[in-house]
Amino acid sequence: MTTAAFLSLLQGAGVTLVLSGAGIALGVPLGLLLGLIRWGRVPVLSPIVMVYVSLLRSTPAVTLCLLIFFAIPTMGIDIGPWTASVLTLGLNTAAFNCEIWRSGLNNFSPDQLEAARSFGMTPALRFRRIIFPQLWRACLPGLVNEMTLLIKSSPAIAVVGVVEITRAATRIGAQTYDPLPPMLVATGIYIVLIVVFVGLQRLTERLYGQAGAAA
Amino acid sequence: MVEHVGSTNPECVLDIRGLTKSFGTNVVLDGVSLTVERGKTVCLLGPSGSGKSTLLRCVNFLEKPDQGSIYLSGRRIGMREGGVIPMSTSELAQARARIGMVFQHFNLWPHLTVLQNLIEAPIHVQRRSRDEVVAEAEMLLERVGLTDKKDVFPNRLSGGQKQRVGIARALAMKPELLLFDEPTSALDPELVGEVVAVMKTLAEGGSTMLVVTHEMGFARETANEVVLMDGGRVVEKGQPSEFFTNPKTDRARQFLQRYVSA
Amino acid sequence: MTRDFGVVWEHADRLVEGLLNTIILTLVGASLALLIGSLVAILLMSSSRPVRLISQGIVDLMRCIPFLMLAYLAYYGLPSLGLNLDNWTAGLFAIVVYNTAYMAEIMRSIWIGLGRESIEAATAFGFRGPRLYTRIIFPQIFLAASPMIGNQLIQIIKDTAFLTIIAVPELTHAASSIQSQYFVPFAAFIAAVLIYWALCMLVEAGVFVVERLAEVRR
Ligand SMILES: Nc1ncnc2c1ncn2[C@@H]1O[C@H](COP(=O)(O)OP(=O)(O)OP(=O)(O)O)[C@@H](O)[C@H]1O
Ligand SMILES: [Mg+2]
Repeated sequence: MTTAAFLSLLQGAGVTLVLSGAGIALGVPLGLLLGLIRWGRVPVLSPIVMVYVSLLRSTPAVTLCLLIFFAIPTMGIDIGPWTASVLTLGLNTAAFNCEIWRSGLNNFSPDQLEAARSFGMTPALRFRRIIFPQLWRACLPGLVNEMTLLIKSSPAIAVVGVVEITRAATRIGAQTYDPLPPMLVATGIYIVLIVVFVGLQRLTERLYGQAGAAA
Repeated sequence: MVEHVGSTNPECVLDIRGLTKSFGTNVVLDGVSLTVERGKTVCLLGPSGSGKSTLLRCVNFLEKPDQGSIYLSGRRIGMREGGVIPMSTSELAQARARIGMVFQHFNLWPHLTVLQNLIEAPIHVQRRSRDEVVAEAEMLLERVGLTDKKDVFPNRLSGGQKQRVGIARALAMKPELLLFDEPTSALDPELVGEVVAVMKTLAEGGSTMLVVTHEMGFARETANEVVLMDGGRVVEKGQPSEFFTNPKTDRARQFLQRYVSA
Repeated sequence: MTRDFGVVWEHADRLVEGLLNTIILTLVGASLALLIGSLVAILLMSSSRPVRLISQGIVDLMRCIPFLMLAYLAYYGLPSLGLNLDNWTAGLFAIVVYNTAYMAEIMRSIWIGLGRESIEAATAFGFRGPRLYTRIIFPQIFLAASPMIGNQLIQIIKDTAFLTIIAVPELTHAASSIQSQYFVPFAAFIAAVLIYWALCMLVEAGVFVVERLAEVRR
């Protein structure tokens, strides 16, 4: 395998990381919003979120990506493979993150909220000052674990032509008629990425306990 | 340790000679010798940590002794004839199948019903015919008074019922020797009686039993011989009438003071 | 829009065919993975430290590789080693290899929590070797592991969709082919999504039933 080939694999890794990062940036806050809706039993919205979570959790990322990439333009919205990819990864991970945030919220002791309420805190203030600072610590290990799973499902976006790691590897293989070396290198890149994330997860577990991982 | 050669008293079902066992530097059995004759019940007494469970576990090689020998009806256990080559796992399994064991915590198989617990090993270890084994198991359940529970899973039984299943399960193997490791000490006090009653009928019916117990009443009334262990050694043995009324050693007197008056 | 769904409905047979492939790949793949995973679990629980470390290392490594990567290795990589598999077999091969690691790990996690008592009793009653595993240990593990095995089954169902990339005619591939022929993307893929949803709910219902069975057998 040539240096150029290796560089293009690294470029693929860059694409995987950027799009995964964007998916996480979309999916983590969205998951929190969904989790709050479920936790607060917001009328009308809560059952809708429940169906959304159940549906998304059983939808393969590949199928979701194809759906978004081909169906959204029919509604007159122009969308490229990159946007479709970020939406796919973000919407998918949001469903799982919703459950992680929700279980963190459910583990919250009612006494604390009672106390905050008795001090006359508004709901928004209660959330910002009391709940969230504790919640994110409890949920972080679970969220990082979900990020690892997101990276592992990220090759799904190759289906709409994004040249991430796996697609870069098949491309090189097709050019050189020797697919095994680039694939093994690509596999090695994934192993490095995932080992880093698993290490991060262990670190967050050590720092903040395992409460959020139970989701 | 000199290996005693030659066969033992043919009436001896279990013959333990000079057994030693250490865990690391902790000497748990320190040269224990003991015999149980056919049809007799021997009660093994002793304070906690004296090595009683370890001794029973060595008898069927759940624990491997360091030294000494064990004969079951004259046949060496754990070692092939000659006492040099260890038994293969299949020989060991066959030997174990000749010994019934009743555990303190019942150790029933939770995924099997009461009847299935009884027939599991006779069918799959002893390879006996299913029809014969089932018929026998049903009779055994009747003997321990659990006919109506035969299709129930263990977690739906009381402790006393579980232990009676445990005993019936051991009997279903038609063992030459029954080992009991504190069969009643995990039971609520009001459930002890039903299990002791079953053990008594077994003893009176001619089963050969080695029983570790803290039930002094059972030992006094049922045992043919009582053996007191302490610190990995046998400190006294004798007839229960002798032992309980007129112990010969200080150690036995101390033990009886603590356990019988309590 | 209703017209689009009408088009998809006309070609429902293609979806059904894709669904059947998805189901067969999932069931055959999961069964083989469970079978081989059981053997690997024995290695993971071995009393020999080197065996334990090496097998655990391989299992952990396998779980770092994305499924599609493994499918590519099977489909494009194995021919370099002289093993030519068609796309369907390569897909199945990847499912089995990938999930063996997960199944083994699931079984190990249950196994270490299993009480030693029932296994010790089995040893005392003369059980050993394969029969100790098939009669006493594995039945208890499978009962306790059913929720985790169910989750893995759902994961496999979803992973089969990756195989459209190597042209295995599974459900997403069928939806894709209908959409590209008639340009009905929304209807075609929503139909597929709903079928996946139903499939996963079926698995969850199955787990629920096994859980009821397991409850009395603890
Ligand atoms: N597997 C083991 N590893 C290390 N030490 C052990 C093991 N099994 C038993 N021991 C030790 O051996 C000693 C004797 O234990 P054993 O269980 O035989 O006593 P026991 O007479 O049955 O006591 P109890 O009446 O409490 O059941 C104890 O000090 C115990 O800690
Ligand atoms: Mg004991």
